[in-house]
Amino acid sequence: MTVPLNAYLILAAVLFTIGLYGALSRKGAVLVLMSLELMSMAVTINLVAFSSFVTPIDMTGQFFTIFAMVVSAAEVAIGLALVVAIFRTTATIELDDLDELKG
Amino acid sequence: MPDLTQIVFGVIALAMVVAAVAMVQTRNVVHSAYWLFANAVLTAAIFGMLHANYVAVIQLLVYAGAVAILTIFTVMLTLRHPDFATRPREFNLFSLLLAGALLALIVLALFTSPEITQQQVQEFPGVREFAIKMFAPDGWALPFEIASLILTAALITAVMWTHQLSKRRPVKKNYRSKGNEE
Amino acid sequence: MNWLVLIPMLPLAVFVVFLVLPRAVRNRLLLVSVVAMLASTVLSVAALWQILQVGATGAGEVWRLSFAIGVLDGQALQLSLALTPLSAVMVAVVSTVASCVQVYSLAYMRDESRRGWYFAVLSLFTAAMLGLVLGSNLLLIFAAWEMMGLCSYLLIGFWWENEEPRQASIKAFLTTRIGDLGFMLALFACYSEIGTFDLPTVLETAPTWSSTGIVLAAVGLLWAAMGKSAQVPLHAWLPDAMAGPTPASALIHAATMVAAGILVLGRTLPLLELVPFVMIAMRAIGVITALVAALIAMVQYDIKRVLAYSTISQLGLMMVALGAGSVADSLFHLSTHAFFKSLLFLGSGVVIHAVHSQDMRDMGGLGRSMPISSVAFLIGTLALAGVPPLSGFFSKDGIIAALIREQHWLALAGVLLASVLTAFYMARLWFRVFAGPANERAHEGEPLMVGPMVLLATLSAIAGAAAVMFAELLGHNGHWPTLQLVALSVGIAGLGIAAGWFFFGRGERNVNTDKLKVQFAPGYTLLINKFYFDHLYAGVVRGFFVTADALARFDRVVIDGVVNGIATLYHGLCQLSWVFDARVVDGAVNGVAQLASVVGLRARQIQTGQTQLYQRLITAAIVVALAAYVGFDLIGKGI
Repeated sequence: MTVPLNAYLILAAVLFTIGLYGALSRKGAVLVLMSLELMSMAVTINLVAFSSFVTPIDMTGQFFTIFAMVVSAAEVAIGLALVVAIFRTTATIELDDLDELKG
Repeated sequence: MPDLTQIVFGVIALAMVVAAVAMVQTRNVVHSAYWLFANAVLTAAIFGMLHANYVAVIQLLVYAGAVAILTIFTVMLTLRHPDFATRPREFNLFSLLLAGALLALIVLALFTSPEITQQQVQEFPGVREFAIKMFAPDGWALPFEIASLILTAALITAVMWTHQLSKRRPVKKNYRSKGNEE
Repeated sequence: MNWLVLIPMLPLAVFVVFLVLPRAVRNRLLLVSVVAMLASTVLSVAALWQILQVGATGAGEVWRLSFAIGVLDGQALQLSLALTPLSAVMVAVVSTVASCVQVYSLAYMRDESRRGWYFAVLSLFTAAMLGLVLGSNLLLIFAAWEMMGLCSYLLIGFWWENEEPRQASIKAFLTTRIGDLGFMLALFACYSEIGTFDLPTVLETAPTWSSTGIVLAAVGLLWAAMGKSAQVPLHAWLPDAMAGPTPASALIHAATMVAAGILVLGRTLPLLELVPFVMIAMRAIGVITALVAALIAMVQYDIKRVLAYSTISQLGLMMVALGAGSVADSLFHLSTHAFFKSLLFLGSGVVIHAVHSQDMRDMGGLGRSMPISSVAFLIGTLALAGVPPLSGFFSKDGIIAALIREQHWLALAGVLLASVLTAFYMARLWFRVFAGPANERAHEGEPLMVGPMVLLATLSAIAGAAAVMFAELLGHNGHWPTLQLVALSVGIAGLGIAAGWFFFGRGERNVNTDKLKVQFAPGYTLLINKFYFDHLYAGVVRGFFVTADALARFDRVVIDGVVNGIATLYHGLCQLSWVFDARVVDGAVNGVAQLASVVGLRARQIQTGQTQLYQRLITAAIVVALAAYVGFDLIGKGI
């Protein structure tokens, strides 16, 4: 008996959770983005696992994963560019300091 | 006695979790980026175990190659002083509880759902089959094109936001708080 | 014969015309008033002539004029004027005296700015008196009675700028008003008995009335006459009424108004005779009045007051005569009194004009400077004292004779005593004023003033000759005085005059009255305080005012307090309501707004601008939603 599906799913869940914890608790903008990437990867693991177990011939999940990765990459690129731009205008990327929406 | 596959999976899984925990835990931002990189590589390994060869390679190229490196670049760019690489401890109980709750929920949902067994397949499709399916007109060709458009848009956006034509615009407000002065 | 109605109507017309004219025009039309009065006099004399021609006597009516003024109880209310022998004589007397007074007033009031109004009221008064005399209906008589009261008030208070005339006029009006209640009582009794006010009917049917009705009517009429004719105790207004102009005093308080009471009693005597105690009362009241007034007159220094008390005293004599049942004697004395008393008043006016003072102590020796006035005044004095052959002797004698005839000895004694006193104080007056060393300052009165006096003096002198004719005109038997009576009268008058001469007429050897005042101090005090009647009345009035003040205070404190209290209560309620509105209602409204504000303020605290906080909150919401989904799912699956 090989690895059951649940194992992969639980792994993905754990990674997702850890990534969530990081996204919620880290104070630096880049760190938060990194955590978000972790969550994204967990999701892709999930997708591929399902593809392998449920639709191995169609490989639907894998295709989905490709596109998800594309989007994720674009998102990271833009996010990091944003962070750099913010750093240039405000000289800080601490989320605690960027509270202009306060009130 | 677990067989080889399971042992390998166990080791990789453990390593991934350790890497992930380290990533969210470490006080050094550069270390954090390294652990992300490690995680990406290990994820590719998992993909391999799932017979998704193409996706594994793409994972390595994109995540491990591009995303992680980008992240390191950004960390470098936004570090005003090397001493600022070490951050104060950032622990939040509320977030931990939330995450724990979510994990519990997911696990609960998992174990109360019906079992899904693996489809018995002679041979898992390889890259060739993957490519055929990808570029088939009734396949995934359109999404592929759209994906490339997305990338283009992202590229342009990133360039727009970060290029500097003229002199640096002065900082308007003092955003720096005490915490970052050290 | 209806021209007779002009007798009262002419003076009335004068009043109405004068009433509507402005002061400046009035003051120039005085002669109109005088001429109207003279015309009325002529007509009166003509009426008397008519009566004498026809030979009517007693209550025989020569002329009657009835008119209805409305409907009372289903029947027409008739008022009527009638000419009887009595009314003819009285009308002649009244109008003659009134004419003399009006002519005299032309001179006396020449410098008065409101003389037009004076003549108007004088005319109105005369019209009322003539109406009363001619009236043959108790209601009409009462109306004229009241009208005279009003004119008296207006004339006494003519110089209302001063305090004394104001007080005096109110006092006169109120006192006679008290008497008028009696008249009203008699009117009520009359109407309830026979349903009509017609005088002849009343006199005819009187014996058939119920005893209550007769008593009420008799007592009521007596009381009214006591007020109008200044009998004790309703006499106090007459001396104070001297605050009015002297000619008005002459007319009203000597000849006419005060005589109205006696006149009405005289005309209704048949009714009064039906109540014996009323007759006794009349004699008693008359004697007391005569004596009290004569006593007070002895110590007065104001010349007009002496004459006023003298009037009261003589009215008392008239009342006694009526009480003895002799209408003729009483009314004849009334007529002669009208002549000589008005003469005396006009004379006093001349004297006051000359000396510019009313106090006898400022006078003396005026006889040389004012011969005509002095002689006229002397005639009046002697007539009043009852010296023959002047008219006063005949009329007073008639009263004494009647008393002897009816054997009212007590009353007779009183009358004789009063006569002695009368002679005394009049002698005192004449000697003080006219006798003594000549007074350079004084001068004789002008013709317009002296003329009427001469006429009145003549009448006072010769009217006695008509004594018997008068009585017979009234339907009674007339008697000439007997020799004994002549002697009695002469004796009395002589006694009084001699005493007066002894005290005041001997120049240097006059008695020093100051010593006497000290010797007889209690008696003197009693007299000088006018028997304390005024003090008594003042006390009554004060008591009235105290009660009125107490009631006013009650009204102010209690009633107003209640009213104000209710208002305050209402105010308090309104305050409460306002407070409720301000605090509770507004509080609720404001509270809601405040709540929204506070909630907003607190809720705002979520907007920290901290990205991580937002993330955590959103995640928590998602987790909760997921938990709910999974939970329901599990429940649905039956776990």
